[in-house]
Amino acid sequence: MVETVSRTQKLIAILLSVPLLVLMAAWLMNIDGHRVDLDAILAGMSAAHPLGTDALGRDLLARLAEGLRLSLSVGVVVVCLGSVIGISVGITAAWLGGWVDAVLMRVADIVLSFPGILLAIALAAMLGPGVENLIMALVAVGWVGFSRLARVQVLALKHAPFVEASLAGGSSVRYIAVKHLLPNIAAPLLVEASFGLAAVIIGEAGLSFLGVGVQPPDASLGTMIREGTRLMLVEPLLVVWPGLILFMLVMAVNLLGDRLRDRLDVKSVDSHV
Amino acid sequence: MLGRVCAIRIIQAVPTLLGVATLVFFLLHLVPGDPVDALLGETAMAADREALRKALNLHLPLYEQYGQFLLGLLSGDWGNSIVDGRGVLELIAERLPATAELAAWSLILAVLLALPLGYWAARHAGSTQDFAAMSFSLLGVSIPNFWLGPMLMLLFSVTLGWLPVSGMDAPGSIILPAITLGTALAAILSRMARSSWLEAMSMDAMRTARASGVSEQTIWWRHAARLAAVPVITMFALQLGTVLGGAVITETVFDWPGLGLLTIEAIQRRDYPLVQGCVLIIALFYVIANLLADLLALWLDPRQRHG
Repeated sequence: MVETVSRTQKLIAILLSVPLLVLMAAWLMNIDGHRVDLDAILAGMSAAHPLGTDALGRDLLARLAEGLRLSLSVGVVVVCLGSVIGISVGITAAWLGGWVDAVLMRVADIVLSFPGILLAIALAAMLGPGVENLIMALVAVGWVGFSRLARVQVLALKHAPFVEASLAGGSSVRYIAVKHLLPNIAAPLLVEASFGLAAVIIGEAGLSFLGVGVQPPDASLGTMIREGTRLMLVEPLLVVWPGLILFMLVMAVNLLGDRLRDRLDVKSVDSHV
Repeated sequence: MLGRVCAIRIIQAVPTLLGVATLVFFLLHLVPGDPVDALLGETAMAADREALRKALNLHLPLYEQYGQFLLGLLSGDWGNSIVDGRGVLELIAERLPATAELAAWSLILAVLLALPLGYWAARHAGSTQDFAAMSFSLLGVSIPNFWLGPMLMLLFSVTLGWLPVSGMDAPGSIILPAITLGTALAAILSRMARSSWLEAMSMDAMRTARASGVSEQTIWWRHAARLAAVPVITMFALQLGTVLGGAVITETVFDWPGLGLLTIEAIQRRDYPLVQGCVLIIALFYVIANLLADLLALWLDPRQRHG
């Protein structure tokens, strides 16, 4: 097993190296990814444009870096919001029980009655284009996993001696939730968060690919794949690059989740992209 | 006993379905501002606006709109498309066979790929073969299907010229969409097969069988496979629903004229009643698939009938 772990680490390092290289190169070269240069449409690799240009003569490297930054920031924001909402709902449901639990879990059931990507597409389409709406749609789908996981864990802990002792000692419920419950349920939630991050990164790109997420001229890896697919016959690299970077990033995050799960010995969570 | 438990599960699905319908109803009300403005623009004629408002029931108070919506769903009147005026259910029924065909081939492909891969990985657990198989499966989960599709097209249609680029008329046009949609399913199923096979093999019964001289091959394929099958079959039933979500993207990539493409077309044309209908029908299939998975698990594993 020890050998497998080090192989996994190597694989993660290899996968992350390309996206990191893109980010660093773009930062060092400091090119504006929005500058249209009609004299350099679909130009190949050159010193000025290391990965060439797109159909409007914009620098591909700079746009890849912008798309990557967007993927990562949307991913982190959605996972943070989703986990805070989900964990609060889960703890509340488990702690209060009764009708509160029934209502909250019924809502979770309803959200889970849609294929996640479909609900996100429908919500984003109705709310209209833009990054804020995209984030809202992904959070609306993403909090459920956290809430269910937190609920099950808290139900198991609710009557544990140390929790009852703390209650008997006069601690407030909020104190117990933060000081006793959260640290004890953190491991599976952390694993859920890492798989969730991978799912959100793919989700953002997917929604943008379909035209209901990030809008041009802003760069998202999803919109770049969409534009690249149209020009596939002329310049295949326009679709190869953004997809490759997206894929490497997602696979690295999934591997991290796997490793985290093995390390923390969590059985209840599986990758669910 | 089994019949009673099944009946309870089915009855429990009813409030969920009602919730699903409610959420779909409110989708229309998520449109910022007035949906009529969004559809016709603010400069439209008053008469046109009024007609559309009536067609969408927007002139009624909210609770009446909701009541009409639910009644319509139950009586089979899912409203009409704003774009061409045809019935939403009629449009959906037209596209359903294409999606069913795509889903069926993807699922077949996934099973044919996943079981041998899962077995192979379990048989060589902890070795390089296992690592390779599981890395491959992780690759399948991590590769976005809206990129895998174009890459397959680039290789097999553009460069090699073996298969048609898109549409569903040319022979062999199902192959690339089915691979695109089936890859992630195969990846998930193979991981499931591996872990359940390993878990089954670690049971005392297998040790006993081995000690009483049963051949290794028989233990793997007869004894352990039977136990390992339960979670794998359940997962497969769950995939029946998931595949419909994936179809939305895959059909868009390949211009495959199914339910997924219809959903995206409806979104692009802001054909809200059609969007609602598509989302609802896919969710309906999804709920049924999940229920099926639940019931299958009950049937295959009697332990789950209690508690």
